[in-house]
Amino acid sequence: MGNLASLGQSKAIAIYRTMVRIAECDQRIQQGLAAGDLQFQYYPAGGQEAIAATIASLLEADDLAVTTYRVVHDIVAKGTPIREIMAEMYGRATGTCKGKGGPMHLTAPNSGLMVTTGIVGAGTPIAAGLALAEQMQDTGRVTVCNFGDGAANIGAVHEALNIAALWSLPVVFVCQNNLYAEYTSFAESTASASIASRAEGYGMPGARCDGTDPVAIHEAAESAVARARSGKGPTLLECVAPRLQGHAFGSETAHMDQEALAEATQNAPLIVVRKRLLEEGLATEAELAQIEAEAAEEVDDAQKFATESPPPGIEELDADVFADKGDIPYASSPVARQGVEPSGEHRSITFGQAVNEAMAVALERDDSVFLLGEDLHDPAGGIVKQTAGLSTRFGLDRVRPTPISEQAIVGAAIGASMRGMKPVAEIMVNDFAMVAMDQIANHAAKLRYMSGGRTAVPITIRSLSAGNVGSFGAQHSQSLEAWFAHTPGLKVVAPSNAYDAKGLLLSCIDDPDPCIQIEAMRCFFVPGDVPDGYYTVPLGSAAIRQEGSDITLVSYSWGMQEVLAAAAQLEEQGVSVEAIDLRSIVPLDYATVRESVKKTGRALIVHPAVEFGGFGAELAARLQFDLFEDLRAPIARYGAPYTSIPFAQVLEAAYFPAASGVVERAQNLLKGGS
Amino acid sequence: MRVTLKMPKGAVSMQEGKIVEWLVEAGDAITKGQPIYAIESEKATIDIESPFTGVITPIAKVDETLPVGAPVATVET
Ligand SMILES: Cc1ncc(C[n+]2csc(CCOP(=O)(O)OP(=O)(O)O)c2C)c(N)n1
Repeated sequence: MGNLASLGQSKAIAIYRTMVRIAECDQRIQQGLAAGDLQFQYYPAGGQEAIAATIASLLEADDLAVTTYRVVHDIVAKGTPIREIMAEMYGRATGTCKGKGGPMHLTAPNSGLMVTTGIVGAGTPIAAGLALAEQMQDTGRVTVCNFGDGAANIGAVHEALNIAALWSLPVVFVCQNNLYAEYTSFAESTASASIASRAEGYGMPGARCDGTDPVAIHEAAESAVARARSGKGPTLLECVAPRLQGHAFGSETAHMDQEALAEATQNAPLIVVRKRLLEEGLATEAELAQIEAEAAEEVDDAQKFATESPPPGIEELDADVFADKGDIPYASSPVARQGVEPSGEHRSITFGQAVNEAMAVALERDDSVFLLGEDLHDPAGGIVKQTAGLSTRFGLDRVRPTPISEQAIVGAAIGASMRGMKPVAEIMVNDFAMVAMDQIANHAAKLRYMSGGRTAVPITIRSLSAGNVGSFGAQHSQSLEAWFAHTPGLKVVAPSNAYDAKGLLLSCIDDPDPCIQIEAMRCFFVPGDVPDGYYTVPLGSAAIRQEGSDITLVSYSWGMQEVLAAAAQLEEQGVSVEAIDLRSIVPLDYATVRESVKKTGRALIVHPAVEFGGFGAELAARLQFDLFEDLRAPIARYGAPYTSIPFAQVLEAAYFPAASGVVERAQNLLKGGS
Repeated sequence: MRVTLKMPKGAVSMQEGKIVEWLVEAGDAITKGQPIYAIESEKATIDIESPFTGVITPIAKVDETLPVGAPVATVET
């Protein structure tokens, strides 16, 4: 071990002070748990204090950090007031997340701690995104991304490391190797003896160090931070610091090597660093005792602050789902929907060209907008030319081709959006969104809520849905809107025509919340009347495509093609049809649908997605409940059968909802009712 | 000051715990961090360390099963 003196006296003491503050905080929380006053799953930081304290000594206050549920060391070191940390532990309104995130999701953007995730490894792509935003805005800020040795084996980490190296992002990946992942040892889950050795495979430097020794950590991290700050790119550090307890407070330790545990406990970094400071004459016993007393006092005060703080008010329950509560489905006072009227010349262009135009307009009018996704760049310009010409016009920095890394695409978008950028991420085909579902549903959708509104994720995801264009089969043709809509915090947009595709996409890009626009291949090549330049179609405003009095047909996306064709046939048969295009599922323009069904007394909801558990079920249940007295027939649904999507044309034709089926079902409702 | 120690939530799934052994007796002087009793929950038997220094008076009896949050002992600090 090198001398602590090599760090300089004041830095060595500052590191010890941070370690003591961490330990005091950690122990006080466990004290509350042991006394039964606090009741939650707590992941102690004991043994890993030196990693956080030393790395923090190399950072500026406005550098950024991402960490995991084992968080106390990282967040204290990053400079978040212990009062706010304690208050969050107690679930109080004064906590880092207003009591809404809790110990696994502490978030403190004021001190640079941007994300604490409970999903192993998932912070790494988001850290890449934070770093990307800093790189694009040329701020010189560094992002430190902490994760465990167990996390090193999850796919998201692989995608993040590759993309960070590829783009030379200013990030330092810190694998805190405490030799265990829950009840499984490092050796039981990793054939290679080191995580840092993987760095070479990613094209970045790697270093492994003793994570209990500030001198060793400092040496490894100093060059990593300098490298990131000077724009040279990421580094993978592995800091080895044995865990000193079970995985969580109260967890058993039977699986741990007892001899090694006893030894590590004896040589706990807190004890050893203290001893070294004294031995090297860097501090006196009295000075260290003073530091310890101050930390105890600080935590006393924080605990008092926490216990005396009020819990969050009940109005917080549905605050921070979206920027505005009025966007929650069936909100009592929905957001007023006001679009920006077009002023440009009207032309006939395809849905796909309209999407391309929306992105061009957004890139032109707002420097913070950028696109990322697979194959977006010229000469291909996307698999269906959706981004043709854009990389040539706006450069590869802003129209950014990515590796085939859906988690990194969405994660990078999330991180960048938290730092002032407006990313438009493309998931080439809807079905591939499953690969990124953790980033979409656990992170994009939840970060605003979990942080008590301290952070926001204004990303747009665009995705093709290739259903019913023939030959794409089970994994390229799905309509997944119900999956997305079932996750509070996501806005789900499904345009049916070229005008809306452009106007809705521009609304998504300007929206403060994460939006997913599903673009149907069936609509992609259909021309429509589209104004030049900027305009928006507001989210949450359904369009009544045709007015009528006998039955309401409701759909969205390419389902509208079938509905409108059916409506024409029904009109010929003397049926007066009201056809509603929802345009977005969340926010939901329920009022328009409700008014219409109240008037007609009949409704059929049509969508290409599987009928079982589909969005139609939600809408039907609600309408039935609200309008029981007004209905002349039961609310009906028409979706795809409960099968995967078949290939053979005859089967595919039988699978997807079609105009003929809409007509048949509508006729049945008209016959059956009064 | 008298503080009450309650049945801790020792594991994610724990709803109640059984006192399997008292490692100290009424009137013992205890120190913070010292194991004071053992509980058995759904998962395993664990020793609970004293969160405080003081003189302890156990309330719960050996073999008693208590819900999380129920009083287990008091400590005069
Ligand atoms: C994706 C995911 N899988 C599993 C879990 C459950 N889990 C929580 S912590 C943990 C162990 C992680 O170990 P490691 O990354 O080494 O971090 P440590 O807990 O040791 O700090 C597991 C499996 C989870 N939270 N997320």
